[in-house]
Amino acid sequence: MQDETRHGDLLVILRHAPHGSSWLKEGLDVALVAAAFDRRVTLLFMGEGITALLEGQQAGPLGQKGTAPTLAMLEMYDIDSLLVEKRGMESLGLSDEQFMLPVQGVDADRIAELLASHALVLNF
Amino acid sequence: MRYAILLLDAPYTSQAVHSALRFTRALLAKGHVVDGVFFYHDGVHNAARLAAPPQDEPHLVDAWAELAREHAVPLQVCIAAALRRGLLDEQEAARHGKQGCSVEPPFELTGLGQLVDLGLRCDRLITFGP
Amino acid sequence: MLLHTLNRSPLSPVLDQALAGMGPEDRLLLIEDGVLGALPAQQARYASVAGRVYALHEDLASRGLLGLCDPTVRVVDIEGFVALTEECERTVSWY
Repeated sequence: MQDETRHGDLLVILRHAPHGSSWLKEGLDVALVAAAFDRRVTLLFMGEGITALLEGQQAGPLGQKGTAPTLAMLEMYDIDSLLVEKRGMESLGLSDEQFMLPVQGVDADRIAELLASHALVLNF
Repeated sequence: MRYAILLLDAPYTSQAVHSALRFTRALLAKGHVVDGVFFYHDGVHNAARLAAPPQDEPHLVDAWAELAREHAVPLQVCIAAALRRGLLDEQEAARHGKQGCSVEPPFELTGLGQLVDLGLRCDRLITFGP
Repeated sequence: MLLHTLNRSPLSPVLDQALAGMGPEDRLLLIEDGVLGALPAQQARYASVAGRVYALHEDLASRGLLGLCDPTVRVVDIEGFVALTEECERTVSWY
């Protein structure tokens, strides 16, 4: 049933940092549900969303789980296409050695291509 | 064409709800089919049965319900996002031992899988965020 | 060809995200606070997508900006918004 001419079914763009709001968590939830329904999912971390990948995140003082436990589950859901906007990484001064998961850097001029090659793009 | 709408903010918080309503009405006026409006993130507050805005302001919750009644547009509310925010229909209120409910038809609580399904099934999905 | 909607002003970093996501044919529709981007003084921010910028009439009108638009920005009404979503294969919203 999958259209092989497309990069994947769903591209979820994550642009918010963990803990500060529920955008990141609710964006990831869509990705997990789609993957559970056998959809091919790509995650693109942009801007502040890149900090979701940092090692060493903790629960908040009121027991807020944050999103690191969810990220750790991505592999179980066969979500292995994790893309990071290189420009955003540079502006935050982060490198992929600091990340909890293997990611692929994306040059600024490839982002438009990514958006165009997915059947559905959801921006969080 | 078949359209789906994804609404991510609460009424009376940002202009997102007004934009989504205007756009959805324009779609219907042009003869398009709206297969569903999906309410997610703070958008679930659009289903708040008890919303009581001043009379000289548009009643956004009623406006969605009217759209559903007149054009058979399904109003689908993410159940996980809704329960966290205190938006429960009769069934969920009973399940959680709560008196009264805060969501009523035509809004229906449903899973996130519906959003993915809508997005991939429809010709167009248009998102309105805060 | 994709349509991108943007509801943030040109002073917001979200504009840069939207621009990064735009392909060579893609169109940008400014809605809500995004219509502040129709002001002539802001046009340099949109240089990479010049000629492909649209702004929603009713959001300009309600903000008193209707007469202040740069001539290169194409003003569309709500029916024009619908038409843009028909013409473009998909719509990506930046907010």
